[in-house]
Amino acid sequence: MTEHSDEPADLESLMRAAQDGDKAAYRRLLREVTPMIRAAVRRHRHFLPLQDIEDLVQDVLLSLHAVRATYDPARPFHPWLMAIARNRIADSGRRHLRSAAHEVAVEEYPETFAYDATNHVGEGYGDPQALRQAIEKLPHGQRQAVEMLKLRELSLKEAAAASGMSVGALKVAVHRAIKALRVTLHAER
Amino acid sequence: MTVETDHLIERLADEAAPVRRLRHPGKRAAIWLALSLPYVALVAYVHGLVVDVPSFLSDPRFMIEEIAALATAIAAGYAAFCTVVPGRNRAVAWLPLIPLAVWLASIGKGCIDDWIRLGAEGLEVHVDWMCIPPLAWIGILPAAAMVVMLRRGAPLMPWVTVALGGLAIGALTNAGLQLFHLGDTSIMVLVWHFGSTALLAALAGWLGPWIFRWKMVPRSSDA
Repeated sequence: MTEHSDEPADLESLMRAAQDGDKAAYRRLLREVTPMIRAAVRRHRHFLPLQDIEDLVQDVLLSLHAVRATYDPARPFHPWLMAIARNRIADSGRRHLRSAAHEVAVEEYPETFAYDATNHVGEGYGDPQALRQAIEKLPHGQRQAVEMLKLRELSLKEAAAASGMSVGALKVAVHRAIKALRVTLHAER
Repeated sequence: MTVETDHLIERLADEAAPVRRLRHPGKRAAIWLALSLPYVALVAYVHGLVVDVPSFLSDPRFMIEEIAALATAIAAGYAAFCTVVPGRNRAVAWLPLIPLAVWLASIGKGCIDDWIRLGAEGLEVHVDWMCIPPLAWIGILPAAAMVVMLRRGAPLMPWVTVALGGLAIGALTNAGLQLFHLGDTSIMVLVWHFGSTALLAALAGWLGPWIFRWKMVPRSSDA
């Protein structure tokens, strides 16, 4: 197992050890090469924001990891590393060009429909307290049906067994309950 | 170093299992040939095709074509395996052009000879359906072996790599098939043998990015 030291790293030896499964050597190698990769990315993509540069550095690290079996310890490490880095940097440029070709710059995103009804920020009841109170005001059968089928999410069969009501009666009760809740909550808005 | 990059390094190091190093591209090309050549011979034998050795040896132009096709297969295979190793000289991708030019020049000379000898009849092209099944069968194993072996490398230039692989497969299968089609005119060899090789290389190159892409672990451990 290769331990971390302050001596200048022999990247070829570290990579050879990493290929043999030495995790400490691999960790040290990745730490040593990351600044080199970052410098190469900055040199080729100096106009990118920092986060994009870091994304690209991570992309190169992942690529290096994916093809680490292709390194031949008899050959120098740096050209191997830089070939991967250059390739991934060029790929990111091609991806950027492809996506830019399919994008249209707009200053303001249009609404899908202009009507107020289609432009609510959120759906749902909005006020859980009001919903709870509305449910409590329902007749017993309807309240029981809503609690079992909508809140506890029982199946019709399970709810029928638990309540003693028929499946048909449950369906009618829950339908009426929802209709009543809609009216009550709409009136409160 | 950002926190995310630091975490990624930790994760990659923790997940790093021992890997089997890729052999030298020359050795890999030799392995591919060692797998493919006996198979080509076996399929040809199963199809009842017999080599006409005396005709083969008595025709120097045919021998040049045969050797050039085989050399194209070897050079293209070697170049394909070189292009999947980062840091190797990319100019090696041009290497197969030398035997390919010799192969094409020899077929071209054959076309002129046939035209002088037979007139317009020597340049007639007709469809030979009989050679298509053996051609397809002959290509299956070399193609499968090539795809599996290439995908162990780095997809640095997938169009070029897979086109070179396609050229190697096409040239090898046609070198095998050519042995059993001694009577063909050069125009037939040009259109069907050389043409199918060129078409396979072009099609393979077009499909390259789909066949051969980066196989990376997810960026975050919870992805």
